Amino acid sequence: MAFTIPVGPYHPALEEPFKVSATCDGEIMRSAEIQVGFSFRGIELLAQKRNWTEAITLVERVCGICSNTHAMTFCMAAEKIAGITVPKRAQYVRTIVAELERLHSHLLWAGVGAEDIGFHSLFMEVYQAREKVMDLLEAITGNRVNYGMNRIGGINRDIPDPAIHRGALDALKGALTDVVVPAFTQNPTARARLIGIGPLSREQAIEWAVVGPVARASGVDMDVRRDEPYLVYDELDFRPSLRNDCDVFARVVVRVEEMLESIRLIEAALEKMPAGPIAATEGWAEIPPGETTVRIEAPRGEVLYHVVSDGGETPARVKIRTPSFVNIPAIEAMVPGQQLADLAIIQASVDPCISCTDR
Amino acid sequence: MTHTDLLARLADLPGVERVADGANGIRADAPFLDVDALADALPALGLRLGTITGIPLGPDGETAIIYHFVAHDRIVDVATVTRNNAIASLAPRLRPASWAEREIHDLFDVDFLGHPNLAPLMRPEGYATGMMRAPMCAARRPAPPSNPE
Repeated sequence: MAFTIPVGPYHPALEEPFKVSATCDGEIMRSAEIQVGFSFRGIELLAQKRNWTEAITLVERVCGICSNTHAMTFCMAAEKIAGITVPKRAQYVRTIVAELERLHSHLLWAGVGAEDIGFHSLFMEVYQAREKVMDLLEAITGNRVNYGMNRIGGINRDIPDPAIHRGALDALKGALTDVVVPAFTQNPTARARLIGIGPLSREQAIEWAVVGPVARASGVDMDVRRDEPYLVYDELDFRPSLRNDCDVFARVVVRVEEMLESIRLIEAALEKMPAGPIAATEGWAEIPPGETTVRIEAPRGEVLYHVVSDGGETPARVKIRTPSFVNIPAIEAMVPGQQLADLAIIQASVDPCISCTDR
Repeated sequence: MTHTDLLARLADLPGVERVADGANGIRADAPFLDVDALADALPALGLRLGTITGIPLGPDGETAIIYHFVAHDRIVDVATVTRNNAIASLAPRLRPASWAEREIHDLFDVDFLGHPNLAPLMRPEGYATGMMRAPMCAARRPAPPSNPE
């Protein structure tokens, strides 16, 4: 006899509320239904009540993990409407902060993933490595989250001495290659809990239109950093990660490879960063009438912003499509035929962000 | 498909009046878009649906609907407008349209005809559909007084 097990909306593994109702035959899940919207905040409406500068601070709070992504994408949209060209040095700094954000997001995910498979010592190792990233972010931006780095036309703070951060990056690379990567990819316990779990075929990934590491782990070769280059990715020889195994393990491996690539990108950017101004404009930006759609590659995948200006002091419309909004529904496709005990790691494998989804 | 072919095929879609190709990507304006014809054409166009934006055109009026597609290396926006605040749903043939349409239904009370399940997605219990429509239309703050200098 089939029965339905509700998981959430309040769950010990997640700070944020969303609900998965899994219908099971014994221990085997047959289907799942996802519910979100438990903490809807109406940020798109609030953005219309803030001036263009205040709106940056607001959208930076869409998410506590990829906060820089939102502030930066909003600024890029405003700059595109206004025809503002951001100085090269500012683009390098934006790239460095974006990749540091990817590192801390992927490490946070890896810690939660380790906890979800009962690998508590790995959780501790991962979070120790993540602290190195948080220290770097604090050293560069002054903050551990909500960095306040972006302004329309550039950035608010420079990286005055790029060379001093090389040592921290070396230490982080060592922690990843010596501990985190082998623990996830070679440890028999981790492999047994991850390989073949939560399958999402390439065809299903295209059908559900998933993005980011979830798509790349299912063989869908897409990454905005390469496909529609922005900032300075085309100057850093960026190489996306791609796997064809289509399971939770593949999603782990893609994120692991992306972390190592992020470190390489940051090192290259610190090395190549040219001298020059960090902002194209002084004072308040005036945004003329116009509208645009901008996308970038956030840690969880493609983010889309559609921004409309009617020439007033506030945006006329700010539409935000986060990667979790398209990745979370695909959990329904990963569940059929899987053990109920694996539901925790299956739902975690899409790195669901409810703050982003509920905006 | 070449860039030129994509522009030509978009221009041939029923209801498309103008296709612009600029720094902001491709935009097709189609006030009387045939949504079913768009759904039919998508596989050949090679477009992935990114999301759908709704913009209320007044507290009790129509809603502008912008479909944001991705053609590998660029954005393709297809803009239309509802009729009696209703429009055909893409969801029966395009899975990622489902949540996007449910959210627009919650916020702006747009009726997506043929949607398999327009259940609340973001709308808290006790709120009527279209909960963001009036506040969003009234959200613009008055322009500041001009600088005396």
